[in-house]
Amino acid sequence: MEEEKKIRKPRGIAKLIPGKCIACGARCQSACPEDAIEMNDKGEPVINLEKCIGCRRCIKVCPAEALEIFYTPEEQKILEQIAASTSAKGTGTKEVSIEEAAATAHIKEYRGVWVFVEHTEGEPATVSWELLGAGAKLAKTLGVELCSIVIGDKVEHLCQESFEYGASRVYLLDAPVFHYYRTETYNKAICYLVKKYKPEILLMGATGLGRDLAGAVATKLNTGLTADCTGLDVDEKGFLLQTRPAFGGNIMATIFTERTRPQMSTVRPHVMLLPCKDTSHKGEIVREFFAIKEDEVAVKVLEIIKGQRAECDLTAADVIVSGGRGMQGKENFEMLQQLADELGGAVGCSRAVVEAGWMPAERQVGQTGKTVRPKIYIACGISGAIQHLVGMQNSDVIIAINLDKNAPIFEVATYGIVGDVFQVVPAIIDYIRELRTGEICSISESKNSIGKE
Amino acid sequence: MLIVTCVKQVPDTTQVKVDPVTGTLIREGVPFIINPFDTYALEESLRLKEKYGFRVAVISMGPPNTEVTLRKALSLGADEVILLSDRAFGGADTLATSMVLAEAIKKLGKKDEVAMVICGRQTIDGDTAQVGPGIATRLGYSQLTLVDHIENVDLNAKKIRVRRRLEGRHELVEAPLPAMIAVLREINRPRYPTVPMRIFAQDAPVILWNNKEMGLREDTIGLKGSATQVRKIFSPHREKGEIIGDGVKDPQASARLLVERLKEKNILIL
Amino acid sequence: MLIYISTIIFAAAIALFFWSCYRRFRLLTLGRPEPKNRFNDIGKRIGGVLYYAFGQRCTVSHGYRFGWNHLVLFWSFMILLIANTEFLLEGLFPDSISFSLLPPGVYHPLAVLIEIASVLALLAVCIAVIRRLAFPPSYMEARSVDAFIILSLIALLMLAFFGLHASEIAQGTEKAANFMPVSNFVASAFFSDVPAGSLNGYIDAFWWLHAIVLLVFLNYLPYSKHMHILTGIPNVYLRSLTKVNTQPGEDFKKGNEFGVGRIDQFTWKNLTDSYSCTECGRCSDNCPATITGKMLNPRLVIHNMKINLLVNGPGIMKNKETVLPLIKGGIEGSVAEQVLWDCTTCGACMEVCPVFIEHVVEIVDMRRNLVEMKAKVPEELIALFENIEQRSNPWGIAPGDRTKWTADLDVKPFETGKTEYLFYVGCFGSFDARSKKVSQAISKILNASGISWGILGKEELCCGDSMRRLGNEFVFDRMTLENIRMFKEKGIKKVITQCPHCYNTFKNDYRQYGVELEVVHHTDLIYDMIKSGKLNLDVNDAKDFGNLVFHDSCYLGRYNGIYEAPRNVIASVTGRAPIEMERRKDRSFCCGAGGGRMWMEEDTGNLINVERVKEAMKKDPKTICVCCPYCMTMFEDGIKGIKADDKVQVLDLAEIVSRALK
Ligand SMILES: Cc1cc2nc3c(=O)[nH]c(=O)nc-3n(C[C@H](O)[C@H](O)[C@@H](O)COP(=O)(O)OP(=O)(O)OC[C@H]3O[C@@H](n4cnc5c(N)ncnc54)[C@H](O)[C@@H]3O)c2cc1C
Ligand code: SF4
Ligand code: SF4
Ligand code: SF4
Ligand code: SF4
Repeated sequence: MEEEKKIRKPRGIAKLIPGKCIACGARCQSACPEDAIEMNDKGEPVINLEKCIGCRRCIKVCPAEALEIFYTPEEQKILEQIAASTSAKGTGTKEVSIEEAAATAHIKEYRGVWVFVEHTEGEPATVSWELLGAGAKLAKTLGVELCSIVIGDKVEHLCQESFEYGASRVYLLDAPVFHYYRTETYNKAICYLVKKYKPEILLMGATGLGRDLAGAVATKLNTGLTADCTGLDVDEKGFLLQTRPAFGGNIMATIFTERTRPQMSTVRPHVMLLPCKDTSHKGEIVREFFAIKEDEVAVKVLEIIKGQRAECDLTAADVIVSGGRGMQGKENFEMLQQLADELGGAVGCSRAVVEAGWMPAERQVGQTGKTVRPKIYIACGISGAIQHLVGMQNSDVIIAINLDKNAPIFEVATYGIVGDVFQVVPAIIDYIRELRTGEICSISESKNSIGKE
Repeated sequence: MLIVTCVKQVPDTTQVKVDPVTGTLIREGVPFIINPFDTYALEESLRLKEKYGFRVAVISMGPPNTEVTLRKALSLGADEVILLSDRAFGGADTLATSMVLAEAIKKLGKKDEVAMVICGRQTIDGDTAQVGPGIATRLGYSQLTLVDHIENVDLNAKKIRVRRRLEGRHELVEAPLPAMIAVLREINRPRYPTVPMRIFAQDAPVILWNNKEMGLREDTIGLKGSATQVRKIFSPHREKGEIIGDGVKDPQASARLLVERLKEKNILIL
Repeated sequence: MLIYISTIIFAAAIALFFWSCYRRFRLLTLGRPEPKNRFNDIGKRIGGVLYYAFGQRCTVSHGYRFGWNHLVLFWSFMILLIANTEFLLEGLFPDSISFSLLPPGVYHPLAVLIEIASVLALLAVCIAVIRRLAFPPSYMEARSVDAFIILSLIALLMLAFFGLHASEIAQGTEKAANFMPVSNFVASAFFSDVPAGSLNGYIDAFWWLHAIVLLVFLNYLPYSKHMHILTGIPNVYLRSLTKVNTQPGEDFKKGNEFGVGRIDQFTWKNLTDSYSCTECGRCSDNCPATITGKMLNPRLVIHNMKINLLVNGPGIMKNKETVLPLIKGGIEGSVAEQVLWDCTTCGACMEVCPVFIEHVVEIVDMRRNLVEMKAKVPEELIALFENIEQRSNPWGIAPGDRTKWTADLDVKPFETGKTEYLFYVGCFGSFDARSKKVSQAISKILNASGISWGILGKEELCCGDSMRRLGNEFVFDRMTLENIRMFKEKGIKKVITQCPHCYNTFKNDYRQYGVELEVVHHTDLIYDMIKSGKLNLDVNDAKDFGNLVFHDSCYLGRYNGIYEAPRNVIASVTGRAPIEMERRKDRSFCCGAGGGRMWMEEDTGNLINVERVKEAMKKDPKTICVCCPYCMTMFEDGIKGIKADDKVQVLDLAEIVSRALK
């Protein structure tokens, strides 16, 4: 770079802010045009001061805002001078490169918010309707249409339901080949629709099926996919901002897809609010025919094994109601079973309970029992000795009910009730049953951003 | 016939703490470990090797110190380990990651027919569970995610039969080989390495493939090949340790409050 | 003619005996070299033989009712050994060797002695038989054919002896007749009416009976459990001169095999142990696992080692494959895996064994084979191993949490060059809710004493005790090297531990790595502080603790001989000595958590901790005092298990002291 006539504007040098790097996988290193960055064993960048030209690319790509530009005091002085002399002129005119412009034009072709309606043999997954609720807001902000895709075998009734939950158009692919979900058939079908109608946003539930399908679709379409989102928003440029937990829930990351379309996310169930059904809402069904012959599909679903597996497999349960020595006797576990039934969960226990012979060993949670990570773990009359804690402390939500307010279980609990399990648990069961009978619509007033951050 | 197992080295996120004051991530002293889910993938590969006589190759894309993780795979019984490491691979999202992994699998496939690719369900840092489907799609393999049991492999008919676990049910699926299988924790219990194997692994070869070796277009890999970008990172506000009501005096009220709170937070859906 | 026949028979029988012995003892050479020096300090070793073997220390002590019987039998046997040697020599070289050729001044007292010994032996045998029939020991094999054969052979031998001498006296050919009161009595009672002519026949008959019984006995010996008569004393000589409180290390070189999975992978000393077992059953009578109905019986472990050697040894000598697996179980001569995992390494067996057999070392060696060569371990342990390896604590908790217990306390980090003592908190003291309180109590005491101390905080690593006891030597080795590196780097020389397991590991295990740390357990330290007046205590609070029972932790007591310090501390804090349980000090009963048992399910038999808690409850305590976080956990758990938690509290010694701090 040639010496300029004016005082050369110092560009500084990139510097790591201690403690901020999250070892994201060497984004900074890979962005650096000068090979000025080496990664150390902790996965953090070490910047070669000789090589760095202060181009700031690493700073831009760092998701953790862990890098900053550093000026020496002399440079700082020069900067101040420049600032003083140019304050009137207004620097930093933004130039748009041709590439960028082309990319922008390309992405402009894509319009509309789509929601994939997930179902099992015609039985819809609630998350699809939650997504229609979330999608409606995005569509409104963007000023575009909200559509859904229904793929299956004899699933036309889902179109009507989509309308009731807010979709104004449904793309329907109804054929026997889609009877069971198979990645290959559904993937091809969705790619066909996307290529034909070019939506800008495609949302799916972050369920087993949704995550299986979305990963395949995004790869086929060569576009970005953000997993397991808990928050969706649109920025001023119209980019979909997708917020999701990462690092085992220790951080939240907001992710966007810059150059490719559609912007795809899978969204965690039960995070978005379920909209109220509006039976008067109508829309248009677009019937599509996309031919895949059954004998072209080599993957076969041989058998569906239904039933509450969680009953026998504690590690697979979403909700675990666990009892400890405080349950006082075998007979009292019936009460926990009732609570578990209400919540669709399984009953676990601490080691003491197994020792006392109140529960079989396979129900034991902890050091020498099972390690579980349910969405809700309810510890009833469990003191929370370390042997037990290590088996359940990674549960999403921990609820502790214990008479002893000093019990260590409260240290890890999200919610605690200091009280007698024999009074509290029946009260919870009663209240849940009471609520169940008088079903109320859960969407109250609209929030500004959707979901939770 | 070859089984390719994909493993990733990750920071042990269970040890990561968030500074309560500044809200930043405390990674100090947090070691890198083999992604726990991938230990099940490796175990399943080794069991299939023992049962059907496959060779097991383990591949991992990551920084040079990923070698440690690959040596662990060797000590458990992998036949061959390949480290995919290059500046150009850095900063990849799942799209760019599956690109490199799929190309590496293709390259392995030139020497020995690939029967299966086995991945973990997801990683504990990225948590996306998208790399497996990405690989399957790129290679055109049968995609079998959420597998909690491999029932049978029919080498003559080139078919595999697995059980997948979906919400509230299981599904028995038959698919042609080659297949990409992403396994759940419940599928097995990983083994522990023997000492002679550990000693052997200490100086057994770890093959390095960088992009010179792979020859992939720079705009399809790494940061440049990534479609998603992380705009910002922040720490979740977590409510830990809220004591609800006075459960001794008024258990009814506490119970109601708790249920309300759970509903409010969308934890409990009634 | 007859004379030659006797010479030939004697020569043949004696040769056969030596041949048998050779064949058996030759197998001992199959063993690996012994890492411990078994021949140093001859004086001490001979002293030990005199004290333990000739004094029959272990057999007599420990309240064994029949120990005295064995003492009598042992000593009679020693004397008769002389007599029978003479008999054998006489048989080999008729008329040339005999005591009777000795001067009367020697011969006469000898004759008396032999007489007395014979009577006592006969009596002892009778008692032994009666005991076996009327008060059978805890195990069945004591009533085995083997035992009765041996006892009847001894009895027969004695009877023949008296018969022979009595008939000689009756004939008048015994010069020392006056010095043989018993034979004299027998002579007058039974042989006075026998015609002189037939006395010769009697003499010959008794002589041959004696000869045959003796030769049979001699040749039966190497094949019976009474082989210990031959190896017992040597084994006492070869005993470990220091406490057996650690395990020899291993060399992790390529091509080596680790642990013991085949009988010849034991050291020759381990093999000698197996030959030396007297099958007395003392070990199993004191073993917490055996007592609570686990599969493990230490006596049988040793017995099975012996059988395995006898079965496989000859083949191994010829480089043949072994036919009987050492670790498998289900058959005599093979040890079940479960047996190995049942051991708490409490050391009670080694403490009581009269011939100094080193059970724990041998059990852990076999565990090593399972872990290191076969990676075959109970499921719970895989998680433990991974946790310790990856996060340096048994639960896999984030190391950053190690300092949580210090909140609101004045605890400083260890600073090189500045801090004198490292307080090594240990995994329990750092993470376990109950033990964290003990850490806090210790820190208060340390602060009150005014010494300079600090902690490593999140840099602290696990000491590796569980790994070593569980047989995961490879990881233990790495952890130790890492710890030692850190200790050196930080200039740590003096360490205070809260946990007896850390204490023992640093003190004894790390010594093998050439580091001499000054390690002190908090009980010892507190005792020293009280003695030197560094702690200002209020002694009037004794009522608070009520009846206070003290429990000895295995790794403090048996492993390191610390029995008095905690008792003295209790006495000076509460004003009176603790109440003692029946099983105490070196006979203390394990809490059930040592040897890695803490991390495994206990699903056979009764719970060890409950057994111990019940024993403590007999003393109607209000407080049970422990000095170990494992014991703490096991007692608290056991007390809750028998629903006694409203009656009794478990406190660590440090907590008792810190409550009395002014
Ligand atoms: C905070 C944050 C958020 C992110 N969010 C997204 C996002 O929403 N979308 C996105 O596309 N990317 C995202 N990424 C990037 C992404 O996490 C990874 O870096 C990507 O390379 C691998 O995805 P994963 O770790 O989630 O793997 P997963 O898809 O969860 O892994 C599944 C399996 O694939 C195999 N595998 C994964 N990575 C490797 C590897 N490097 N080598 C060998 N095998 C492997 C393993 O068998 C693994 O078990 C994010 C990164 C960060 C730091
Ligand atoms: S500022 Fe530019 S040159 Fe310097 S390290 Fe960052 S990317 Fe590299
Ligand atoms: S980009 Fe940021 S978070 Fe990623 S490695 Fe570099 S400094 Fe760390
Ligand atoms: S150490 Fe203890 S548990 Fe183990 S065999 Fe000996 S007495 Fe039994
Ligand atoms: S090992 Fe020792 S204590 Fe046990 S039976 Fe044998 S001699 Fe007796």
